[in-house]
Amino acid sequence: MGTLDRRQFLGGLGVMTGAALTASLTGCGSSTSISSDPDELVLWYWNRSVSPTLLGQAAEGIPGSTKRLRADVIGGGYDNKFRTSLAGGAYIPDVAAINSNCSLYFPSEDKFFDLNELGAADHSAGYFDWKWDLGTSPTGRQLFFPLDTGPTGFYYRADVFDEAGLPSDPDDVSAAVADWDAWIELGTELRATADVALMNTAGMVFGQFLNASPERYFDRDNRPLYSEDGSAVREAWEVAIRASEAGITAKLPVPTEQNSAWSSGRTVGHIEAVWWAQILGDTAPDTAGSWRIAHQPGPPGNSGGSFFCIPSTCKDPEAAFAFVTWLNTPENQAATFNEVQLFPSSPEAFTAGEMVSDTGFFGEQDPLEFFAAVAPDVPPTFVSTYEPQAAAFATELTNVEASGKDPEQAWADAVTEADRNLAKRGVI
Amino acid sequence: MAALDESVRLTPGRTASRATDQPRPRQGSPLRRFWPQYLAVSPFYLLFLVFGLFPIGYSVFLSFQDWDGIGPMRFVGLAQYQFLLSDPRFWNAVGNTFVIWLISTIPMLFLALVLAFLLHQNIRFKGFLRVAYFLPNVTSMVAMAIVFGSIFSDSFGIVNSALAGLGIDQVPWLSSNWGIKVTIAVMVIWRFTGYNAIIYLAGLQAIPTDLYDAAKVDGANGWRIFRSVTVPMLRPVILFTVITSTIGGLSLFTEPQVLLGDTGGVGEAGMTIVLYQYNQAFTKFDFGYGSAIAWALFVIAAVFAIINWRLIRERDGIRGGRKKGASA
Repeated sequence: MGTLDRRQFLGGLGVMTGAALTASLTGCGSSTSISSDPDELVLWYWNRSVSPTLLGQAAEGIPGSTKRLRADVIGGGYDNKFRTSLAGGAYIPDVAAINSNCSLYFPSEDKFFDLNELGAADHSAGYFDWKWDLGTSPTGRQLFFPLDTGPTGFYYRADVFDEAGLPSDPDDVSAAVADWDAWIELGTELRATADVALMNTAGMVFGQFLNASPERYFDRDNRPLYSEDGSAVREAWEVAIRASEAGITAKLPVPTEQNSAWSSGRTVGHIEAVWWAQILGDTAPDTAGSWRIAHQPGPPGNSGGSFFCIPSTCKDPEAAFAFVTWLNTPENQAATFNEVQLFPSSPEAFTAGEMVSDTGFFGEQDPLEFFAAVAPDVPPTFVSTYEPQAAAFATELTNVEASGKDPEQAWADAVTEADRNLAKRGVI
Repeated sequence: MAALDESVRLTPGRTASRATDQPRPRQGSPLRRFWPQYLAVSPFYLLFLVFGLFPIGYSVFLSFQDWDGIGPMRFVGLAQYQFLLSDPRFWNAVGNTFVIWLISTIPMLFLALVLAFLLHQNIRFKGFLRVAYFLPNVTSMVAMAIVFGSIFSDSFGIVNSALAGLGIDQVPWLSSNWGIKVTIAVMVIWRFTGYNAIIYLAGLQAIPTDLYDAAKVDGANGWRIFRSVTVPMLRPVILFTVITSTIGGLSLFTEPQVLLGDTGGVGEAGMTIVLYQYNQAFTKFDFGYGSAIAWALFVIAAVFAIINWRLIRERDGIRGGRKKGASA
């Protein structure tokens, strides 16, 4: 290999590249917004996270402002794409949808407008307080504006319950599963008489217990709570283990298996949010008419639900805020529910618009009515930025169910793993 | 993600450096003499510089930082590497990667060789069969994962139904340690056997037919011809497929990811090195640690590259002259 030639070649290459980079950087490097049109605000959202009709209206002019909206659907890996543009300081949308993992962004709160500076505080009374709280950073800045919510309930097959001689009417079932012990007892009976499962995995029991708990993995200072005596995480763990040991979980960790379990009737229940009704309808269409929804043990939880944020580079924050508040008026949230089934975060939406529920799958029962009634009771809670670092608890529950790992060993391993991760990230 | 690009980078890089060798014997500055040619090959280098070299260099820098992808970086020195050495999940991923690589590569290359040998014979529908065996390689991975997920489903799959029909105990393919590994290996075998068979077929066609004729005259049967003529003459091609399969095996990602999701399945039995790297960098937003994992993979891959290289060199030293005709 000719070293001299190569060196000269690389030298020349360096000059050429330098020139090309300079040219391209000066050409486009300074635009932080996606659109250079001063009258156009750009929204990033994912499919079915906003009503297309309302987006069409905003495209012609955002009510309460002089700006127009350009809405860009962002495909898979939404957070990675959004974070990349924020980190790069370029091509940042003027307003963006954020999923229920919004706490991921708390450490970078300076990248977003405090919506209270734009007058958000005046709107807070119009939304569920627990939902509003989820969008507040630990330092008290309102970074995220409520879009939709996911109050949870206990889905069950009334026909199977009936055959097994168990209560099958939603009110009776709700009364029968007032707490987790009663729920496990009902599941045990169901296993004995009909030999079917009440839920698919212990991990799901664990997750939904925490979704309905005022305390989660961390306190508001991001101090871990899970390893403390009597923590909510420990309580959720114990309920999940007891449910599993009583044989009321189907012990099916693979998602495709879970779908088959629901459609084949091997698993006749689930605790999940309002949006699961639609998934269930798609997964198990043959079971239409036999499902009902009852209150889960304890208070309802929240699973999922998204927000809006206004990045600090927004070219017209007032107009962006006008768009967000207009999109989330009770009337528009009701219209959004009718169009793309996003469950409102504004209680007034249930009375303001004509929300139409897609009934039939749950017999005479109207799921909209059920979830509208439970939504106000979701306890306020704090979701920490660092929850993904504590994912080991769910992983270890799977180990217990799938490979018979000793529960206490699994718990100890989960705590160690979570502690190790947090120490590495400098949290503890 | 640097390691993923390894295979893509190798070939063009080599070709181009050979191109710079050529002008050496001539006079005058080669850069000036051959600037149109350099200009013509420059797009690759510019793209490589921006999308290859810069990210590779930056990942070295990142592996010494704690960074969530947006906020300020925090210099942590060698802490990421220290954590890596004592991280049971990382070593589990290394073990998984090697186990899956072994139980997929050995049967796959053997099958491919047999297939290529059969496809090389005078059989009917040869063209159709070649296309048919290559087809899995260009099939959508996601669609494939759904099909495999259904076939190997623990309680509803065809495989377990068949086992039950035969009176054999069912296997929890998707929720047990070995079940997961075997399922991923079967996916790899299904996808790459035809691809390797086509490469072997090309090698087979370069073997002079008079060798076969001579063997037949000497009274060798089909198996003897395969063992004593075909395999030795194919040795360079086989080594090539071993090397590409090693690179592919070490960077195994898509199969476990689409089959089991980002967590690698029950007990992380399907967690490979690259999947763990993806998991840390893009689902936990721990880019420093993700980069450290990438460089650990680089070291492992480098060790294997050296082993491969020595293997080829030593063998060539022993029986050099005879082999060259076949490899050219």
